[in-house]
Amino acid sequence: MNVESTSVHELEAAIENLEPTVERLGLSDEERVARAKRAFLRKLDGRKAVDLDTCLHCGMCAEACPFYETTQDERYAPVHKYRLLRRVYRRQLSPMRFLYRPFTPDITIDDLREWRHYVFDACTGCARCDMICPMGVNISSLIRIVREGIGAADLMPPRLQRMKDEQQQKNSIVGVDGQRLRQEIAKLNEQGVTVPIDKDGADTMLLTTVTELRMFPSQLGACASILTKAGANWTMYPDAFEAANIGYVAGDTAAMRVATKRIVDKAKEKGIKTVVVGETGHGYQTLRWLGANTVGERLPFDVVSIIEFIQQAQADGRIALKKQDNGASVTYLDPCRLSRKGGLIEQPREILKSMGFDVRETEPTGRENYCCGGGCGEYVLSTGSELRHRVFELKKNQFDDTEADGVVTACASCRFNLHVGADKTNWQMPIKSLVETVAANMAD
Amino acid sequence: MENMTLLDFARGPGLQWALWIFCLGVLWRIVGAMYLLGTKDLSKFRRNHYIRDGLRACLTRSTPAEAFEDKIRFQHISGYAWHIALFVSVLFFAPHILFFESIFGFSWPHLPNTIILFSGAVATALLIALLIRRVVHPVQRLISTIDDYISIVVVLLPLITGLAAFAHIGGRYETMLALHLLAVELMLIWYPFSKLMHAFMTFPSRYQSGTFFGHRGVKA
Repeated sequence: MNVESTSVHELEAAIENLEPTVERLGLSDEERVARAKRAFLRKLDGRKAVDLDTCLHCGMCAEACPFYETTQDERYAPVHKYRLLRRVYRRQLSPMRFLYRPFTPDITIDDLREWRHYVFDACTGCARCDMICPMGVNISSLIRIVREGIGAADLMPPRLQRMKDEQQQKNSIVGVDGQRLRQEIAKLNEQGVTVPIDKDGADTMLLTTVTELRMFPSQLGACASILTKAGANWTMYPDAFEAANIGYVAGDTAAMRVATKRIVDKAKEKGIKTVVVGETGHGYQTLRWLGANTVGERLPFDVVSIIEFIQQAQADGRIALKKQDNGASVTYLDPCRLSRKGGLIEQPREILKSMGFDVRETEPTGRENYCCGGGCGEYVLSTGSELRHRVFELKKNQFDDTEADGVVTACASCRFNLHVGADKTNWQMPIKSLVETVAANMAD
Repeated sequence: MENMTLLDFARGPGLQWALWIFCLGVLWRIVGAMYLLGTKDLSKFRRNHYIRDGLRACLTRSTPAEAFEDKIRFQHISGYAWHIALFVSVLFFAPHILFFESIFGFSWPHLPNTIILFSGAVATALLIALLIRRVVHPVQRLISTIDDYISIVVVLLPLITGLAAFAHIGGRYETMLALHLLAVELMLIWYPFSKLMHAFMTFPSRYQSGTFFGHRGVKA
């Protein structure tokens, strides 16, 4: 077992300790259903109405879903996953609701419990279904609303419930807090990597994640090296460093807002101009694309992924990368929230190519790539482990088909999921981080 | 006399009522969706090419991405074949053109009856095949609602009665013509309440999907 596998098991054990996995008491069934419906109705606007009214029930989206593909279980068809939302829309909001209501059953507590499996264990919100729909329905956003409805009913998987409560109340995730950040930074300092903390006058703020800190602290070190080498005036804040947003993952919009607001408020207070998000897919999405909407105002600073930062620094001549001279090949795992949902498809490949790597594409790739199986909190759910592993096998075979020397990704959660799968299957392909690869190849 | 009365009804008040319900229903449904409005996206867009991204999606969603083609080839091809066959039958049959001329005041060239008969038969056969697929395919069976089945039947009826009237089978021509018109009127009445509305919703949906992903720098 290598060092990374040990770290994987350490995090797995920490997550396991979050049990008991029992439903929290407190709300009556009626109140849970009412809350879910209110959450649905809050998010249903004209766009969603068009989406719901356009769906033909053709079922093509199933053919894009990795969970359906690997199980052939029709319940995992994306269109089925948002069925509850459609029912509430037709009963309460549709212009034809007076006609639909008698023929459309209301949602029940049993429905919410059943759909919890579909939208948490069997959906990572990867949005591949959005790419296949001939009607252009934004399917993943509809499924997302179902997740939020179940979250509002306080019926999310108990493990996520514990994690989002911890983040909301204690500003830590599985015990990783500002103190742990300081400890990891101290270790990095011993290795010669400087990470400025609470630096006055900084204009750039770096975010990392619990996954990076617990398993891949070298990713944080690599980000630090890149920022310093590029001459950024940057810092980290122990009370606002966490890019992971468990409220988002758990479908709890209130908890999501608390986590987002911590970052936004700190950046505003310190006059930060650029927030750089380390290697995380959902952390990037929650701040870059959802952050302003979550706090209800335009953000007075830029949010960039470390990928964008590297590319800009290359373009400005602030960092130069050494070319590989051994003809090494890599394949790239697109984190769904960076690529298909984030627009960073070509950029990481260009960075890898600029280092002389032979970048080999999986089939399919880029916009149509498959999720690693562990996105959007899926990787911490015990109830989804079998499904997750099936999707991992699908990805693994695609990676193997490229015959590349290694797989590179830019998301710690994806990397974690690959390590867990590799550990179970004794898969030998090296799994690398993009920032670590860049940091190792920076010219003096 | 009774048959003539049925035909008179179908040509007269039946058609008028059906058209009114169709127009008002469609309008009600579109305005109803617009009334819900959209939530303003406050994020800083990577691209601001609304129209280009929206129109691109309207176009590109007409064919599946290469990565998906193998898996949905039947639905892709049958969908196109069904719509083309339907529109050929509806728009290029000489009596239909006369009917449209009486409403719109202008006409266009028609196609030979053999082609119309063929396209009508193809449309009917494909719709029946799609109905069977909906019943047999596990995903489609699970996700189908009563609307899906009624809509297929309601669209099948004008096709079947039209073919029967054309071929002079099933009863007197006037009777079959009246039944054909009534079937069309049933479809018009059902239209705004059903999934048939997708004809009006598809392009707005594709457009908004194109702009949503376009803002993020993804060509969707």
